[in-house]
Amino acid sequence: MTKAGMTTVQQAREAEVVKTSRSLPAAVWAVILSVLLAASIVVAVTIGPAGLTAGDVWASILAHLGFGDPTLSPLRDGIVWQLRMPRVLTAAAVGAGLALAGAIMQAVTRNPLADPYLLGLSSGASVGAVIVLVLGVSIALPFAAFAGALVALGFTLVLAGAAGRITPTRTVLAGLAVSSVFGAVTSLIIFWSATGDSYREILNWLLGSLAGAEWPAVAISVGALLLVGGPLLASARTLDAFAFGDASAAALGVNVDRTRWLLLGGTALLTGAMVSVSGSIGFIGLVLPHAVRLLTGPGHRALLPLSALAGAIFLIWADTAARTLFDPRELPVGIITALVGGPVFAVLILRSRRIS
Amino acid sequence: MTDAVQPTSGLSLDRVAFSRAGRVIIDGVDVTLPRGAFGALVGPNGAGKSTLLHLIASIERAASGGIVFDGAALPTMPRRERARTVAVAEQQSDTELDLSVVDVVMLGRTPHLGAFASASATDAAVVRDALAAVGAAGLAARRFHTLSGGERQRVTLARALAQQPSLLLADEPTNHLDIRSQLSALSLLAELARGGLTVLAALHDLGHAAAYADHVIVLAEGRVVAAGDPATVLTPELVLDVYGVRAAVLRHPLTGRPLLAFAEGSPAAAETSPTLDLESSL
Amino acid sequence: MSATVRVRSLVLSLHPPEATIRRSVVPLVTLAASVALLSGCAATPEPSSTAAASGSGTDTASTGYPLTVDNCGTEVTFTQAPQKVVTIKSTTLETLLALGLGDHVVGSAFTDGPVPDDQADAAAAITSISDFVPGQEATLALEPDLVYAGWESNLTAEGAGDRATLAGLGVNSYVAPSACKEEAYKPDPLTFDDVFSEIEEVGAIFDVSDRAAELVAEQEKDLAAVTKNESGLTALWYSSGTDTPYVGAGIGAPEMMMEAAGLENIAADVHDTWSALGWESIVADDPDVIVLIDATWNTAASKIATLEANPATAELTAVKEKHYVTVPFPAGEAGVRNVDAVSSITDQLETLGL
Repeated sequence: MTKAGMTTVQQAREAEVVKTSRSLPAAVWAVILSVLLAASIVVAVTIGPAGLTAGDVWASILAHLGFGDPTLSPLRDGIVWQLRMPRVLTAAAVGAGLALAGAIMQAVTRNPLADPYLLGLSSGASVGAVIVLVLGVSIALPFAAFAGALVALGFTLVLAGAAGRITPTRTVLAGLAVSSVFGAVTSLIIFWSATGDSYREILNWLLGSLAGAEWPAVAISVGALLLVGGPLLASARTLDAFAFGDASAAALGVNVDRTRWLLLGGTALLTGAMVSVSGSIGFIGLVLPHAVRLLTGPGHRALLPLSALAGAIFLIWADTAARTLFDPRELPVGIITALVGGPVFAVLILRSRRIS
Repeated sequence: MTDAVQPTSGLSLDRVAFSRAGRVIIDGVDVTLPRGAFGALVGPNGAGKSTLLHLIASIERAASGGIVFDGAALPTMPRRERARTVAVAEQQSDTELDLSVVDVVMLGRTPHLGAFASASATDAAVVRDALAAVGAAGLAARRFHTLSGGERQRVTLARALAQQPSLLLADEPTNHLDIRSQLSALSLLAELARGGLTVLAALHDLGHAAAYADHVIVLAEGRVVAAGDPATVLTPELVLDVYGVRAAVLRHPLTGRPLLAFAEGSPAAAETSPTLDLESSL
Repeated sequence: MSATVRVRSLVLSLHPPEATIRRSVVPLVTLAASVALLSGCAATPEPSSTAAASGSGTDTASTGYPLTVDNCGTEVTFTQAPQKVVTIKSTTLETLLALGLGDHVVGSAFTDGPVPDDQADAAAAITSISDFVPGQEATLALEPDLVYAGWESNLTAEGAGDRATLAGLGVNSYVAPSACKEEAYKPDPLTFDDVFSEIEEVGAIFDVSDRAAELVAEQEKDLAAVTKNESGLTALWYSSGTDTPYVGAGIGAPEMMMEAAGLENIAADVHDTWSALGWESIVADDPDVIVLIDATWNTAASKIATLEANPATAELTAVKEKHYVTVPFPAGEAGVRNVDAVSSITDQLETLGL
């Protein structure tokens, strides 16, 4: 018996070595992060300047879901159901979408610094969105933002390529140039069409804000996450195959060009949808995938879904901070994500220098 | 019987051509490599060896010509099926990602796995066997980026083997290796070929080709200048012609295979190529 | 005067053409129910007339609800006089206090400075919820039935809430009409009639048209009593900023007050309410007088320091001669303190011997 037991243990250990060498299996992390996400939604809706009790908030939400009666006045109930709930859900979807887009871009471009914000997609999406808003063209906002993101991505890649071999540094520099120009175009369009104190709108688009997120924003962001993000998750194994470069991926049976353009197009679409409801919130696509890699390693079948979960949790809390830290004023949430993301970006630059 | 199978068994290239940026890289190459043979692709730098391997694996597309393996045209084969048929062990394989050796070899299972399928016990066994076959079982838990050049070379080969291909293409498999590892890598390829795998390796070292390959293909400026049995192909005249180097070809005292000895010097000096006698020089 | 006639297609069509000029803001009231009320208000445009309050043309001074007003292009319907109001900016708070509506204010925000002395007691009882623009939750937590904002930009999702969002939650919003930015609604130029119209419209909304009429009559009287400065002085209205000063331009409240005080605005040709203006053009124009706006966050004293520290502006006539006139920030924007501000400016000019 003892001997048999030993053998089983030995086999199990061997299997473990072959399967993964990380501390916790990805499935365990998936469970942990899912629970954390659910808990974040449950808790974040109870936090806000209006000082409502958690019991009242949940009575109100359950009442809207068809259970029981609200204990709050109609206006306070409105704060919960018309403002906080859609805002928290939008934060979750936008965070998930941007983190997913970042993880995919990093793999497809083999660039650890790739991110929809740094590569100019977010700025391009903002331009698309603002043009539609100003002209009142009857194109759906997310699609205009998608077109803007795609154009910006094209500019970034062409510029990075024209400067010589596409390297991570060149790509980021090209992204910087493109996002500066697109950021300026956004500002210009708003100034040109300004009816109010336009600087606030500009801030909203350039820094990102979830203050305006109501139920239509939930529909757009969650819809995009399911319709675009879902299929993108299926690319995980293909992305793994890119680990050793294009030729290696091709030798493993990947249609390199088609995959690259489909995935970049997918991230542009996802980014466009998210930016159309939130403006360009930075650094989520950069920070979260790197954090998740520390937990589970670079395998994309774990990285993609876990980055999405982590992005959702992160943005929920970043936005909760944005709406409560300076109560009664609100901070654009992009300031918080940049405060966290900037230093992480710096660390990545230092680390990439050490590697090369 | 054997003769009848010959045309459809193994690798056969028919007038394959390829240009890049207006420059002809591969210029009408014909190659025949029987199934289960260890072929060595030799030639000077820039002859087009790596490119030819890429064309065979359809990583790059030949402008014209036929590439057939075991009766099936590789360029038109569905990608995943092709990746289960042909594997490539690249010359300088590296990644920015922090992958374990097992992660890297498991990549070889990509064409065998669906988008959402988890690696099965079978896949794990294939990975284990592939690592064992290249003598790298002990590296399984290591991080890829901590490996030495020679260790990486073996893991890269294991990744290709994990694809369970019928045709293995290896680009400079002895690069970065010390002499003992070079020889063990080459004998591994020879052994795999004896086991039925068709192997085509681009080699820099003519001596290696002479010592291990069943079939040598000499490429120069995108053309095949000679092909066949090492003893027939690797002559002093060919070496002088292709590399501009004087050489003497001997019989290896231990294996009986061709053994090359080189000497620098002007091509003119080669006209009076001295007869080297290994036995007497000892 | 005809410049004050603004085109409000839907609204105007309900009115006889003569019911325009100074009454032009009152036709904001559009519901059929209030047409009767309005049709009686084709009152005389004489500024001295005291028959100013809405509906005072007929014998009713009470507002008929529901009352719909077209506010900067947003239709707002009141089913009763607002009971719980959040004010944003000083001008809105002061308008309500001047109408004796302090007990309707549940919270004030973004006040630019202290209220005038006569309002101090009433203001002391009101909670200030934020020194700046409050967030929407902080605003809604007070359960207001009206958010009364001094600027359109106060009512955005990042601020006290988008107007449509507030409406969806059953909260009315009202922006000082003098601050409307839409082309058809923007006062161009702003006149005292516009300022008084806002008082009257707010009076109608809160069903205190009588008080509004009294207040307007009083202000009109005070304005008529101002002795315009006749010295032909040029002036700069220095609102804020140091590197590039933000100054009163050609069509807003500053221009309105300067003109009433007899000052010639050096930035009058800039077609805007306020505008950024380079020091270079200010030095080139060398104004006789500088009107300094005194805000808690940018005092008149700090502006004088700025002017004297910069070698270029230190040479300005007004700086060398210390020809400074001070106006409190809240009085610098369109509201109930503008008339006082004009008479204060002329008094200060007299004290300076100009």
